[in-house]
Amino acid sequence: MQIRDYLIRRLMVLPILLIGVSIIVFALTRVGGSPIGIYMSHEMTPEEVEELEDRYGLNDPLPVQYFAWAGGVLRGDLGWSGVAVAPVTQVFRGKLAATMELATAAGLVAVTLGITLGTFAGSRRDRLPDHLTRVFSVSGSSMPDFWFAIVLLIVFWVYLGWFPVGRSDPAIWASIAHPTGLYTIDSLMAGSWQAFRDAIWHLVLPAITLGLATTAIITRMMRSSLVEELNEDYVDAARAKGLPERLVLKRHARRNALIPTMTVIGLSFGFLLQGTVVVEIIYQWPGLGRWLADAVLRGDQATIMAYVLFTSVLFLTVNLAVDIIYAYLDRRVVLGS
Amino acid sequence: MFVHAADDEATTLDPAQVEPGEGGETIITQVYERLIEVGPDGPDLVPGIASEVPSIDNGLISEDGLTFTFPIREGIVFHDGTDLTAEDVKYSWDRAMTMDLPDGNAGLLGDIVAETTVVDDLTFEVTLQQPSAAFLNAVVTSSVASIVSQDAVEANGGVAAGEVNEFLTANPVGTGAYQLDAWNRGENFQLGVFEDYWGTPANIDVRIDIAPDTDTRILGLRAGEYDMMEIDPSLVPDLEGAEGVEIYQGGFLLEPIHIGFNTRFEEGSLPPEDTIGPEFFQDPRIRRAFNLTFDYQGFIDGALGGLGGGVPHYFPQGMLAYSEDYPVYEQNLEEAQALFEEAGVWDEGFTVSIIAEEGNLFEVASLVLADSMSQLNPAFQIRVLAQAESQFDEAHASDPIPYALWAKNADPFADPDALMNAYIHPDGEWGTVHGMRDMYQDPDAVAALIEEAGTELDTDARLGLYADLAPMLYDDPMWIIAGNETALNAHRDHVTGFVMNPLWPRPGVKFAFYDK
Repeated sequence: MQIRDYLIRRLMVLPILLIGVSIIVFALTRVGGSPIGIYMSHEMTPEEVEELEDRYGLNDPLPVQYFAWAGGVLRGDLGWSGVAVAPVTQVFRGKLAATMELATAAGLVAVTLGITLGTFAGSRRDRLPDHLTRVFSVSGSSMPDFWFAIVLLIVFWVYLGWFPVGRSDPAIWASIAHPTGLYTIDSLMAGSWQAFRDAIWHLVLPAITLGLATTAIITRMMRSSLVEELNEDYVDAARAKGLPERLVLKRHARRNALIPTMTVIGLSFGFLLQGTVVVEIIYQWPGLGRWLADAVLRGDQATIMAYVLFTSVLFLTVNLAVDIIYAYLDRRVVLGS
Repeated sequence: MFVHAADDEATTLDPAQVEPGEGGETIITQVYERLIEVGPDGPDLVPGIASEVPSIDNGLISEDGLTFTFPIREGIVFHDGTDLTAEDVKYSWDRAMTMDLPDGNAGLLGDIVAETTVVDDLTFEVTLQQPSAAFLNAVVTSSVASIVSQDAVEANGGVAAGEVNEFLTANPVGTGAYQLDAWNRGENFQLGVFEDYWGTPANIDVRIDIAPDTDTRILGLRAGEYDMMEIDPSLVPDLEGAEGVEIYQGGFLLEPIHIGFNTRFEEGSLPPEDTIGPEFFQDPRIRRAFNLTFDYQGFIDGALGGLGGGVPHYFPQGMLAYSEDYPVYEQNLEEAQALFEEAGVWDEGFTVSIIAEEGNLFEVASLVLADSMSQLNPAFQIRVLAQAESQFDEAHASDPIPYALWAKNADPFADPDALMNAYIHPDGEWGTVHGMRDMYQDPDAVAALIEEAGTELDTDARLGLYADLAPMLYDDPMWIIAGNETALNAHRDHVTGFVMNPLWPRPGVKFAFYDK
């Protein structure tokens, strides 16, 4: 099947999938309790609860409520977030930008450190640097992020006072415009070195915490791939023709070892997004993860539904993109088979 | 900049919509004012927007106790620059009563106020439906009675019955010593000193950081990033002895932790494991036996770390009408056993579920009850169902409540009449929900004493009525009162002017007093 035909077919199926996802999301959140929970308090009389349910149309049959919600989604109205005290759509953009900025920074930390350490260890197999790196990667992937976050806070916030929590210094944040919502980008666009420094300073601890486990995974993957590649015949051939070891590693073995590592890196983005919940709570990072955690604890169903719908759309889109890229890169892949 | 670390985000900053104890009250307390205020020292009232506290002696309360006159200070301006007059006061109260939002507290005004009148630009008059001894302490000082700018509201949506005003939800326009400069949702509130404040201006700008993680707040205070945080007894060991941190202990909160007995449920509507019916807690011997079984000292020494005390039914320390002479329950297992045997449940035993919000002192109180009961008799099984806040609130606000026991804390009322009507009166808020009319041995006598005390304007006579009521409530308890927390606060040692009053909305502080 041609890529174009496949794309058209997948795009036609996409709305059906989204309707299915929206029904499942709606039904599952209702199983968790009534959406009125976030507006209720123990002081309310039953009459007041009834009045609230009327206000939000929660006395209507469930299908009517579903269509009211789905209609709102199509109009770009995802409801009111009781946790954020604002319309979901209004809040979403800012929170998404905060989370994407953190996840990207964590990803950069993980990729840079992971590939470097993995190469370092793999090229020094069974020597001290290799053992130390393996200890790091095992401990990095087994250390709970909430614990690691607290340790970093104690050392670098309480005792050394080097890095802060939160996303910004409010006064510096207010001094520049935020067209993208990404603090680092906005500060560069505004030409404010002070704001850029503030953005980076606030990113350091949460990005290291969030990226630690992924760093460990990438390190291990890179190391084992590199060890395998270094045992291949073409590496022996390169050495035999007198190529310096540095070039053997850089031009031949590492390049090939990166292929399986890149698959892991691609998969790890979802892992990073999951990790933002804990990291954002501890570091007071105002992103989607912290918002979702608040919403779940307080029964803010409009927010939960919006988040799940968003991630569903994201994954459907990413899956589609990955399928197409695979087919483009490797002609042996037959789309739609 | 003074930085306070809060654990909770606000859901609204509109006085007509905020619930008592909700995060928004912290901000409303700083940016809005009321006609009169609770002063920094105890329960004494001080003038606010009104220049005098009404009393019969100064002639501002009519002889029949129905009409209250409030002379308004001259020269008060709102944060939007408009002048405050008696029209704004009437508008604010009428607005809250007209909106009458179920998620707000307008009933506090609507249940007692018959009429509001503007006598002239600087005189406001209220006529009550019946005399009320609690009107000044419990109603006029409450958040819902805060004065908003009529011009600001009318320019931004006005007033509609049953409808939220989205502008006021996020944009307070009051007369307080602070104005709201920014609300970065989920991050912080920024309060700026209001330069045109009529009274003593605030000293320092304030930022309230929303930091839901307890460890982060504690570390931030230790690091000196925060100047102050609200704490409960469980956090004291984490901060005691920390360099530069002072822990304030003063008096008690007015929010005793209690366990409610519910009898108003349909047969078979409790969880399937429960073996009791509605008649179980209608038996006063069983309620007394439960009260005598609970390990109060264990709860206070353990969960509260010794920072708390027992409470007589139902007059917490620090409130008018509290007396050391009132009887307080203590654990007495022999007497409890005798009562359970007399009630005929000792041999057969029972299983009953209790709900509480997970991860807090209410859950611990439930566990202490479960432990105390099973130690007394292994056939007495209390199933503790710890629930998320929204789940608990949903169950708790149901009618009928599908559980026979629940644990929470009382609302911090400033006057005993409000407390009595909410928690003790057989036909009051919880009296109706729990079916207290079928529980009291003499519900009419309890009701009569509460009602008489509520309308008695002579304080001594009023205290006499509560003194008659206290032993009746001990003999016929509607609650288990697990204990009352000491009022606590942790702040850096450079904070000056520190005062705290549990009668102010949580966390019981007014930043206008502080500096550093």
